[in-house]
Amino acid sequence: MNLLIQNALIATEESPKLVHGDVLVEGGVIRKIGKGIKVPDCCRVIDAKERILMPGMFDAHVHFREPGFEAKETIATGSEAAINGGITGVVMMPNTVPAIDSATVVGQVLAIAAKNSRIPVYTSGCVSMGRKGMELAGIDGMRALGVKMLTDDGDTTADAAVLFRAMQYAGEMGMFFASHCEVPELAGPRALNEGAMSYRLGIQGSPACAEEIIIDRDIRLAHATGAHIHIQHVSSKIGMETIRWWKQRGDVKVTAEVAPHHLIFCEDDIGDYDTHYKMNPPLRTKADNAALLEGLLDGTFDIIATDHAPHTPFEKSLDFVNAPNGITGLDTALVSLYHHFVATGKFGWDLVVKRFAAEPRRLMGLPVPAIKEGSAADLLLFNTAGETTFTHEFMKSKSQNTPFLDKTLNGSVDLVVLGEDVLLDRV
Amino acid sequence: MPRKDLLDISSLSREEIDHLLDQSVPFKELFTRSVKKVPALKGKSVLMLFYEPSTRTHSSFEVAAKRLSADVTNFDVGHSSITKGESVRETVETLQAMRTDFIIVRHARSGLPGMIAKQTRASVINAGDGAHAHPTQALLDAFTIKEKFPDPVGKKVLIIGDILHSRVARSTSTILKKIGVDVAYLGPGSLVPQKGPENIRRFTNYQEAMAWSPDVVYLLRVQMERQEAQFFPSLREYHRLYGITDARLEEIRQRGLYLMHPGPVNRGVELCDAVMDYERSLINDQVENGIAVRMAVLYWLKPDAGSES
Repeated sequence: MNLLIQNALIATEESPKLVHGDVLVEGGVIRKIGKGIKVPDCCRVIDAKERILMPGMFDAHVHFREPGFEAKETIATGSEAAINGGITGVVMMPNTVPAIDSATVVGQVLAIAAKNSRIPVYTSGCVSMGRKGMELAGIDGMRALGVKMLTDDGDTTADAAVLFRAMQYAGEMGMFFASHCEVPELAGPRALNEGAMSYRLGIQGSPACAEEIIIDRDIRLAHATGAHIHIQHVSSKIGMETIRWWKQRGDVKVTAEVAPHHLIFCEDDIGDYDTHYKMNPPLRTKADNAALLEGLLDGTFDIIATDHAPHTPFEKSLDFVNAPNGITGLDTALVSLYHHFVATGKFGWDLVVKRFAAEPRRLMGLPVPAIKEGSAADLLLFNTAGETTFTHEFMKSKSQNTPFLDKTLNGSVDLVVLGEDVLLDRV
Repeated sequence: MPRKDLLDISSLSREEIDHLLDQSVPFKELFTRSVKKVPALKGKSVLMLFYEPSTRTHSSFEVAAKRLSADVTNFDVGHSSITKGESVRETVETLQAMRTDFIIVRHARSGLPGMIAKQTRASVINAGDGAHAHPTQALLDAFTIKEKFPDPVGKKVLIIGDILHSRVARSTSTILKKIGVDVAYLGPGSLVPQKGPENIRRFTNYQEAMAWSPDVVYLLRVQMERQEAQFFPSLREYHRLYGITDARLEEIRQRGLYLMHPGPVNRGVELCDAVMDYERSLINDQVENGIAVRMAVLYWLKPDAGSES
C-alpha cells in the first residue's frame, strides 16, 4: 500500500527542530519528503494535521513471559502492547520457564514470534544455565541464531568469576552483556528502597548501594576483559554517576539504560502499599529522579527501555512483600515521556528519537530507521494535542499492572506503519 | 465521625486520638467495680485472626470485647509463621460470609490488615502487622503516659531497642509526637534506621541518650525470633550497651524516671530482674490500660451497615 502523509512535523535524532512537510511511502520505503507532494494514484492520503512524525520506538528490555507464564503475557499480546505504544521492535529478557539459555529455547521463542508478532521480536540469552549463575549457558548456539545480548536479567550473576569467564569467552564473539545490578544479600526481600518509605511501611528496604556495587563491579569486569557491558534500568544517582565516571575514563565499552518509571516516580508514590509502584530496582527518591534525568540529558544513558514486566491482577493484589516486582510499560512509555518531559520542556523530540528509537537499535546492531528518503518505512504519528486514558480496554498487554491505569495523559500515538503495513490507525 | 477500621496511628487526627483517650477513662473506671461488664456491644461478634503467636494482645482484646458483651470467636489459622497472601484472601472471604462485625488481626506481613479491611464490611483492628503498626499499643502507651503527665507537651520519651523491626516503636512514637511529646530512639546502629523520621532524635550511645534528659524510658523487647540476620554480636553485649543494668536502674531511680515495656520482657537482656520491682515501672499499668483503650476502640469503630445480621 502506498501512503502519503501530509502536513506532518518531522522529528529526527539530530535536531530538536521539527521540519514541516509531506512524506510519501511507496512499497514500504520512504520515497519522498517535501512540501506539497502531488498525490499519486492508488494512494492513501493522511492529513497529519501537524502531528509529530518519527521513527518507531525500540524497547531493548521487555518481559514477554512466553514460554512459562502465559497468564501474564504472551509474545502475541506483548507485541500488540508495543504497537499500541508506538514501539516497533523489542528485545525479550530470558527469564522465562524454561529460561532462554540454549539454542533450542531461542529457536522456539523466535518461531513463536515469527508466527504471532507483527513487529520484530529479538531475544537476549542467559549468561548462565537457568539463570542460576553457575554453569555457562549455550552461548555460541544462541549466537548462531542471532542473540546479541547476554544477561541473567531479574538477578545479578552473583559469582563474579562466572561473569568474568563469560565475558572472556563471549566478549570477542560480537556479543555484549547486560546486567541487572543488585547484591542479593543487601537487597533483602527486594520490595522497596531503603529510606523513609521502608521505615514508614515497616518493610526491610534495599539500599541503593546494593545496586551501585554491582554497577561498578560489572563495569570493572568489562574493563578487565574488554567485553561490552550494558547496565540495565539504573535507579540511583550514584549508579548514574558511576557509569558517567567510567564513560569519562573512556577505556571500557559501557552503555546504560534508564526506564521511564525511574524518571517519573519515586518511593513516596508507594503510598499505602500500592504494588503498582513495586519494581526492582525499586523507586528511590526525588533527588534520584533528578539525577537520572540529568544522566539522560548528558548522554550517560544511551537508551530508554521500559522493563515491561507484566503480572496478573491476582499476583499484584498480594501483600507488598509477596507481590511480584515490575510494571508494564509498552502501552504507556512514549505517551508518559511526552507528558512528563517533552510537553514540559525538559527535553525535545530529538532526545526521544535518539534514545528510544535509534540508539537501542544501534546497541543491537540493527539498521536504524529515520524519516529520510530511502529509509524503510518504520514510523509513527504522535498527536501532541491528543490525550490517552490508559483503561483496561485501551491497553493491549495481557496485564495492567501500571501506575497509569485509568489515568489520562497528554499525547497519543495515532498511527504506526512498518514496511507496507499500517499496524495501528487511530488518525 | 466514627471510622470503620483502625489500621495505624498516622491516619488518625489529633481529635480522634484525644477522643479515644478520653473515652478510655470511663472504661477503666469500670474495672474497679465488681461487675466489669457493660452491654455496649451485646449481640455483636468479634473474630480474632492471629497469624502470629500472641498472649498479651490476644487476651487483652478478648477481655475488652467480652467486657463490652460482644461474642468472641477465635479463628484458628494454625500459627504457620508467615502465611502467603493467597490463603489470607480466602480466609477473608470466609469471614465475610460469616458476617462478623469486628475482625482483630495480627500478621507478620506489613500492610496485611489494610488489605483485609478493603475486602470486608467488618471493622478491622490491626493488632500488629510486621514492622508497620500496632495502633492499640500506641493508644495504651499514650494513655499510660497521660495518666502520669496530664499535660504531656514537651515531655521526653526515650525508646530503646530494636527500632528497625518494631511496629511498637513506629506507632508509639507517632502517637507521642501527635500529642506533643518529644521522642528519641536509642539502640545499636544496625537497629535504629538512619533514614527514619526527621523529627525523632537518634542515639546509639546510652550516656548521650540519658544526657538528653528523658522523662520516660521505654524499653522494647529484643525480637530474637524476628532477626533473620545478625544485627549485634551477642545478647550479653546488647545488655551491656543498651540494657537496664542494676547500675543504670539506680540512675533511673535517682532521676525519678518512669519505665515502660510492651512485654513480654526478656530478663537479663533489655532489663535486669530488679526492674520488675521498680516503683516507677508502668509495665502493669500498660497491661490494664490496654483493656480500657481496646474497649474504647471497639466502642468507637462502626462496621459498614451491610454487616448487620
